[in-house]
Amino acid sequence: MAHKYKLIYFDRRGRGEVARLLFAAAGVEYEDFRFKKEEWPKYKGTTPFGQCPVLEVDGKPLTQSNAIVRHLAREFGLAGKTAWDQAQVDMILETMQDIANPISVICLCKDEEEKHALKATYEEETLPRYLEAVQKILAANKDGKGFLVGDEMTVADLSLFWTLDCIPVMVKNPTAKFPKLQEFRDRIAAVPNIAAWLEKLPKTADWDNSNVEHNP
Amino acid sequence: MAPKYRLTYFNLRGLGEIIRLTFAAAGVEFEDVRVTEEEWAKIKPTTPLGHIPMLEIDGKPLAQSNAIAHYVAREHGLAGESNMEQAQVDMFVDTWQDVAKPLIDIYYIKDEETKRELTKKYSEETVPTFMASLEKLLCSNNDGDGFLVGNKVTLADIAFINVMSWLDSLGPNVLEKFPKLAALRKRVEAIETIAEYIKQRPKTDH
Repeated sequence: MAHKYKLIYFDRRGRGEVARLLFAAAGVEYEDFRFKKEEWPKYKGTTPFGQCPVLEVDGKPLTQSNAIVRHLAREFGLAGKTAWDQAQVDMILETMQDIANPISVICLCKDEEEKHALKATYEEETLPRYLEAVQKILAANKDGKGFLVGDEMTVADLSLFWTLDCIPVMVKNPTAKFPKLQEFRDRIAAVPNIAAWLEKLPKTADWDNSNVEHNP
Repeated sequence: MAPKYRLTYFNLRGLGEIIRLTFAAAGVEFEDVRVTEEEWAKIKPTTPLGHIPMLEIDGKPLAQSNAIAHYVAREHGLAGESNMEQAQVDMFVDTWQDVAKPLIDIYYIKDEETKRELTKKYSEETVPTFMASLEKLLCSNNDGDGFLVGNKVTLADIAFINVMSWLDSLGPNVLEKFPKLAALRKRVEAIETIAEYIKQRPKTDH
């Protein structure tokens, strides 16, 4: 019997979006429950660790965005076909975190000088290094004309797609020097289920400081 | 035929230890290569993402400590028995990382006064808040007298004892108010292959 899914998160993309993309890619129904930042104190105490997103599966709560994403990916057959493929997918998911997390750190930095320095390092060293490595991984599979791992879309592709959309809040045109990544991004956006989701998704702020305030 | 595993990391616990502990829990042999900074500089360009730990499985490289730990756990039945159990294991592994993260951030702070203040807040507020939730979740599984997920040791429990080895720096009473977690730690560290590994591993600061 089909599971009943409820995703509980802020009314923004942030750490809930890859889960939403998974539901879209798999064509699976779910309740996309969103609350405003001011409402969070009301829900915080009801969650396992005072954090969101939370995924309720038939009423049972699961938290930690990575755990949610991996679980849905496995349930929907989007986690990689073999054990090795799954490991490669995991490796890419972790790398997407390495790309996205510094953005939060920079956003939260209160000292202007330090913020400026961190942003420069990210833009000039960290980001290009990672994008080059990811482009190399992509290019090694069907010359970058397919997916990151294996022959079919996996959650790794959805995570890269979303991460590439996050970066511009800190660094404009991140894929300017990485044509294969830009082409990949556009190709994923054109997948019918994904295109339909992008068309209807609520137009909310993609990334703001409050994105990182929900942890205890 | 069993695969040949080769783990490359620094001579630290750091990001590599969860992998070493998972091999120990599984009772599986692996080559535990510990490199110096100089040696690392030489092999860095040959790695998939330019950082370690890295695990070579019959020569094929895999990076990212979490991806590696999960792979080793899955291959050896330590990742949870069903999809839902695997998700629970993932949830705990990520939460143990959330518990440890502030301590790692504090380590890099230079100002002693700030360091002291933040450590105090971490020790008196952050850690107990997390532990209270974790003790509650542990108790919802076999009354807390088994493991964090399901009926056997998983990566969730391994991540716990790994993080505890860092929290020990806060003092001996971290789990004083959380008896089920304290007992779980003892239980997991007493597993024969884990106990043996802990006994003989190099003694490093982190």
